[in-house]
Parts: sequence; C-alpha cells; structure tokens
Amino acid sequence: MMTSTAPLSAGAPRKSLDSLTLRYLVLVGLIVIASVGFSIANDNFFSLANIGILLRSIAVLFLLSMGMTFIMLTGGIDLSVGSNVAFSGGVGVITLTATGSAPLGFIAALLAGMLIGFVNGVFIGRLKLSAFMVTLATFALARGLALVIYDANSINVSNPVFLWLGGVSWGNMPVVIPFVGLVFAGLSVLLYRTSFGRDVYAAGANVKTAFVLGRRPERTLVWIYVLSGFLAGLSAIITVGRVSSGQPWAGLYLEFDAITAVILGGTSLFGGRGKLLGTILGVLLYGIIINGLVLTGTNPYLQSLIKGMILLGVVLLDTYTQRGKTA
Amino acid sequence: MSKRLDMKGIGKSFFATRALDNVNFSCVSGEVHALVGLNGAGKSTLMKVLGGIYSADEGGIEVNGSKVSIDTPADAEAAGISMIHQELSLISELTVAGNIFLGRELKRGNTPFLDKREMARRVREQLDRFGLDLDPNRPVRELNSGEKQIVEIIRSLMSDSWLIVMDEPTSALSEEDKDRLFEFIRRMKAEGIAIVYISHHMPEIFAIAEHVTVMRDGKIVLSDRTDDTTEDAVIHSMTGRELEAFEKPHKQISGEPLLSVQNLSKPGVYKDVSLDVRPGEIVVLTGLRGCGAPELAKAVFGLDPDCNGTIKYQGQTVEPGRGPAVAVREGMGLVTENRDKNGILPPLSVRDNIALPYIDKAVRGGILDGAHIEKVVTKAIADTSTKTSSPDQEIRFLSGGNKQKICFSRWLDEDLKLLILLEPTRGIDVHAKADIYRIIEDLAERGVGILILSYEIDEVVMLADRVITMYHGKSVSEYSYPGFDKDRMLADMSGAQQAG
Repeated sequence: MMTSTAPLSAGAPRKSLDSLTLRYLVLVGLIVIASVGFSIANDNFFSLANIGILLRSIAVLFLLSMGMTFIMLTGGIDLSVGSNVAFSGGVGVITLTATGSAPLGFIAALLAGMLIGFVNGVFIGRLKLSAFMVTLATFALARGLALVIYDANSINVSNPVFLWLGGVSWGNMPVVIPFVGLVFAGLSVLLYRTSFGRDVYAAGANVKTAFVLGRRPERTLVWIYVLSGFLAGLSAIITVGRVSSGQPWAGLYLEFDAITAVILGGTSLFGGRGKLLGTILGVLLYGIIINGLVLTGTNPYLQSLIKGMILLGVVLLDTYTQRGKTA
Repeated sequence: MSKRLDMKGIGKSFFATRALDNVNFSCVSGEVHALVGLNGAGKSTLMKVLGGIYSADEGGIEVNGSKVSIDTPADAEAAGISMIHQELSLISELTVAGNIFLGRELKRGNTPFLDKREMARRVREQLDRFGLDLDPNRPVRELNSGEKQIVEIIRSLMSDSWLIVMDEPTSALSEEDKDRLFEFIRRMKAEGIAIVYISHHMPEIFAIAEHVTVMRDGKIVLSDRTDDTTEDAVIHSMTGRELEAFEKPHKQISGEPLLSVQNLSKPGVYKDVSLDVRPGEIVVLTGLRGCGAPELAKAVFGLDPDCNGTIKYQGQTVEPGRGPAVAVREGMGLVTENRDKNGILPPLSVRDNIALPYIDKAVRGGILDGAHIEKVVTKAIADTSTKTSSPDQEIRFLSGGNKQKICFSRWLDEDLKLLILLEPTRGIDVHAKADIYRIIEDLAERGVGILILSYEIDEVVMLADRVITMYHGKSVSEYSYPGFDKDRMLADMSGAQQAG
C-alpha cells in the first residue's frame, strides 16, 4: 500500500534540533563562559578544592531542584522546600540526640519531610487548591515548626554516621556528589521509564484529558509533593552533615534558588515540558554564578539583586518562548 | 415608521465550497423571520455576512431600498443590526445597567464620575416598556441565562437597533424563561422591531414567526408565510434529496447486551432514558443541543455521580460516579466532544498522547517496555492513517482531523469493549470524516459496542444500527436499521407532534 506520509525513521530529513536540545547546548556554553570568566577574575576559581567546595555547596540545590522539576512538570510549585529542610533536619537531629541512633535520625528526617509534602499533596491534589497558596502556607508553617522544635537554638551534632553524607570528602570529591548522581539516575528512571513518570507529564500537559483517559492525576499530584518532601528530608541530612549542626534557619531561600534553576534548565512554568538533565545544567550554571560572585568579592547586598534579575530574565524567556509555541 | 432589509443575490465561496449561492433574504419591521436548515446549510454564513463578519463575494444589502455597505461589525451596528450570540458576552461582575452602558457610560455633567442613577433609570424605562421585571442594579452574575439574554437584547435596543438576529435563543432556557422570551419578542414586534430567528424547534417557529425560510447547501429551498406552510413541509425541505446509497456492511448483531441503561435520570438534564448496546452494535443518540444526550453518555462512562437509575455493563451493575479510571479498566473508552479542552495533551508527543491510557499494560517489572509501546503506537498510527512526521511530533502541530484520529487511536487495543463517542466528526474535514467512519465500522465489526452522540442527521443514519432520538432530556423514539426516516427523526428532535 502506498502512503503519502514520510517514512517514520531513516531517510526522513530530521528537523535540525529540537528546542530543548538547543537550550541545553546554550546552557553548556554559558557554563563554560561563566567558568572561564570567573577563573580570569579569581585564580582560585578553577582549583580542584574550589570545585569540590562549589559542588558541595550546591548538592542540596541539585536534590531540591530535581524534586521541583517533577512539580513544575505538573504545572505546580513548591515554596515549602526551604522551610522543610529546616523542619525535617530538626526532627532528625532531635531524634538522633534523643536515641543516639543515626539510622533512626535519618528515618525521622525523611518521614518529617514527607509529612510536609503529604500535606501539600493532599491540599493540592485532592482538595484542588492552588499550589502557590498551599505551599506558601506550609512555607511559613514548616519554618514555624522548625523554630518551635529547635526552640530557636541550633543543636550541635557529632555522630560521625549522621555527618558522613554531608561532611566527608574523598580527596577533593565530597561523597555527596556521587550520591547526587545516584539520585539523578534513580529519578530519571522514575520519570522516563515508569508509568508514574508518564502520569507526571500528562497531569501537567492537560489534567482534564489525563482524567478522562482513566489516569488518576489527583493521586499523581499527592505523590510528587511527597517526593519533593522526601528530597527535602535528604537535603536536611546533607545540610546538617555539612555544618555539623542542626539550625532552625537552615534552607533559607532555597525554594527561590530551586525554582530559578529549574526554569533556567528549560522546564516550562506551564507544565508538561522539561527534563531532569536541563535542571542539572540549570543548577550548575546558577551555582557557578552565585559561587563566582562570592569568590570575586561582589557586595553581598548585590547578590540578591542579581538573583532577582536572573529569575525575572528566565521567566520572561520561558513565557515568551512558550507563547510563541501555543499561539 | 416601517423598515425593511433586503439581502439580494448573496454569494460566498470558501475555496472550492459554495457556502452561499444567490441567496435572497428579507425582513420587515414588526415581524419575526425564522431561518432554519441543517448544520452547514449556510444559515450562519448568511448571518455573518449580515453582521459584517464576512463580506459577500456577490450581491448586496439594502435598507429601505437604498444600498448599504456592511464590511465590519461596526457598520452593521451603525445600520441598526444586532446579533445576540449563543455564547453570551456580558461581564458578570458588572450590574445590568453597567453592562448595558458599557463603553458609553453616562457621566455626571462634565465630571469623570459615573451617573449610575440615571443609567439605571433609563434601563428601567426600557424594561418597563417591554413589561420585563428585572432590577438594573443587580450584578449580572446573579442572573440566569434567560435574564442574561434579555440584558443583551435590551443593550441592542438601546443602541438603536431595529433588526435583531437571535441564534438558537432557547437552547439554554427553561420553559418559564422561554415563555418570557416569547412575550418579549411579541412586544418587540409591536414596537416595530424586526427579528431573524434561527432555530430548529418547529413549535417555536410556528408559534412566533410570520415568515419561515429554509436553507440547504447554501441555497434557499423554501420561503413562505408560516400560515401558508406546515411543519412537515419545512422538515422535508431541510433534508431534501435522499442520501446517495451508502451500503452499511451487513452485520448480525445478537447476544446479551454489553451495556444496558435502565431509567437513567438526572434532574433537569435527562429523564427515564433506557437503552441497550450489544457487542458490535452502533447505537446513536441524537437530538438538538441541550437534549441531554452528551450528559447521558458521560454518565455511562462514570463521570457523573448525581444520576439515578441502573447502568449494567457486562451483566454487572456499575456505580454511577465510579470515575474514568475504573471505566477504562473495565474496557470502556471515551472520545470527548472538545479535543482541545479535554481530548489532547498539547505539549506532549503523538506517542505519549496515544499510549497514555495503555501504559499500565506496558509495564514489565515496574519499568515501561519502550519497544512494546512503540509497536502499539506505530500500529495505531497506521490503522487510523494519521498523518504525522514521526511519533515524536508534538500533537499540537497536527490538523484537527489528525488530532481527532489520535483521540480514537488510543482505544484500539484488544481490551476495548465499549467505545463512547461524543460528536466524533465535529470540526473536521470530509476526508478525515471518511477515515473516522471507517475506524468506527472496523471496531464494530471486531465486536466492540459503540455509543455515539451526533447532532448531524446524515451522519446518524449513515453509521447507526439503531438510533434513539431525544428531546428535552427524554428519549422520543427508537429506530432500527434499515427503517430510518430522517423526516420523522427531525420531527422527534424538534418536538413536533407525532402524526399517528
């Protein structure tokens, strides 16, 4: 039978590059440019020691941003992750001091993180409230809980098992970096190779269609906020390990950094479009810029200004490119 | 003073399609002129020419014998012609008076402040003139659809319109609102307003119109005083010639019903409807918009917890609001009436769009079997002859017909037992239509039961093994192939009295 359509694979002229691939190439280019620029401005930038420090300082951002990617793929947002890092860290550290058992401390931190995520998920997925408003509420709520359980004081931690993940390095390589790599691999399988991952994209692409096709988008939403909370719990363990203490003000502004990095990495604000690889590149570029500003001795007051401008810029870019596509 | 509008020799083509062919249409102030015809007969094209939305290729428009040129909606308004749209265009947070004076608000003297009292007074004056009881200071969001329609009409009258075009004005109205609208129309006639009334409802037309014009295939086929014609004559001229002989594949349908709906009711939407669908049978529900059939079909799919009655599927009674997830697991599929709203997943690829309802079946040890999905998707694209450059193509770049085929191709795997189709060929071209009819027949031949909602009478008789006509939420009668009588079906769905 003759068909007028182009053959599906070989021979068909492929469109040059899809927009995401192009975006990733641009990001890699920007990462190179930023690295070169900062290394000219400061000789220490390219030292192995500094790269180790840089990666360790953004390890937590990698984890939270990957969780945020799942959430933004569904068209949602999670403002509570930074506060959740403080709260679940507090629960973990207090459990550790009370029982002396590091595994119990880990479990308590992860469960506390997932609890905040579950609250978000139920209000957003089941009760269909606005993700922005619900997580704005838990943003304040989790921080308040952290301040209450810490009684506003930090708690020093010396248990070597509890500190291992966030504190130990092999040479210049912090252990947390291969760990982030493992999480990335695991989340990639979850997002690209399971039906749950397809449901994440479907919920963001058109929640009504996903529903009438017999999927359960409301459940998917609950689970992704639990996932985000779980990653906040992991981040809390790493944060405690990095500074050898649990602090009620840990994780401040991390939600801002994660959202910026995810959008920078090409995940659409409107849901349904984006990849974890882009988020990794987005975190790297964002981390290099922030780290470089510190190393070059930029006025700390200016840093917030620059962060704000970066976010405004990427949102503008995203909205305009998406508008062009849907028009 | 009496006014008169004449559209003379209007012709309009869209590419190769002759949408209007030498159409003459007139109306006189103080009269209601009903305009009827099947979907695609040219009624709305003609009214869009009158409203300045399309410009005619040939012919001209005259008011009181002198030529006027209507090239834009503003020209139409200046000529005193107003269109009342089905989708109402009011701002719900403003009051009745605020909406009516929108864009030409009255100010207090030379100040920038609104003179709300004077605006309300003038609106009330108009309402009183037509014997309507409505508070000008009520916000529009509190009004029902009948009252909103009145606000729209008053707005037109207050901008000096003398000719009002109403497109299916009663489709969303309750009986009470309908009576009030008809009373309003009678008073407008008495005030010398001319009304073009587009409707399929025979009783309405014969109750309020002085003149009726029937269009078919872009031409006027009947134009007469309502006193000098009959419902039968109007209905017959709407359908016109017999359809070219289309041979439905001969099927032997037997066996226990796959789906059996008994006395299903939802207050105000449909009432006591019963129907059966056997494996391999194509059952078509038809009626006018607002007849309750789409809501009924959705209830079968488990989307509505608020209906009473029994739905039996494969011999088992099923929960009314069990939700699509359960329905799909039971082997049901649904193609919705609005692809863009809840039919497609716009940013995702053709592959993801097709495979979504299927993915749970493609999981091996928790992981999706990509090669298996690829096979299903490739077959689905081929079986529906969907034109796409590759399964990676984002669905939003496809044409309407191809999007619709993808909405079908999701359900083609062997577990499908009952497929529910809402307006399966809405807004797609003739070639895609033919492909979709073929897909439907193929599925039926495979033993899938099919329940279709269609508003297009030609499509109904072409596809169906059995037809159920609906009017105002009630099933009127049932026809079995080959005993289809289009005229009687149309009479059923427009609520005309049965002749014997």
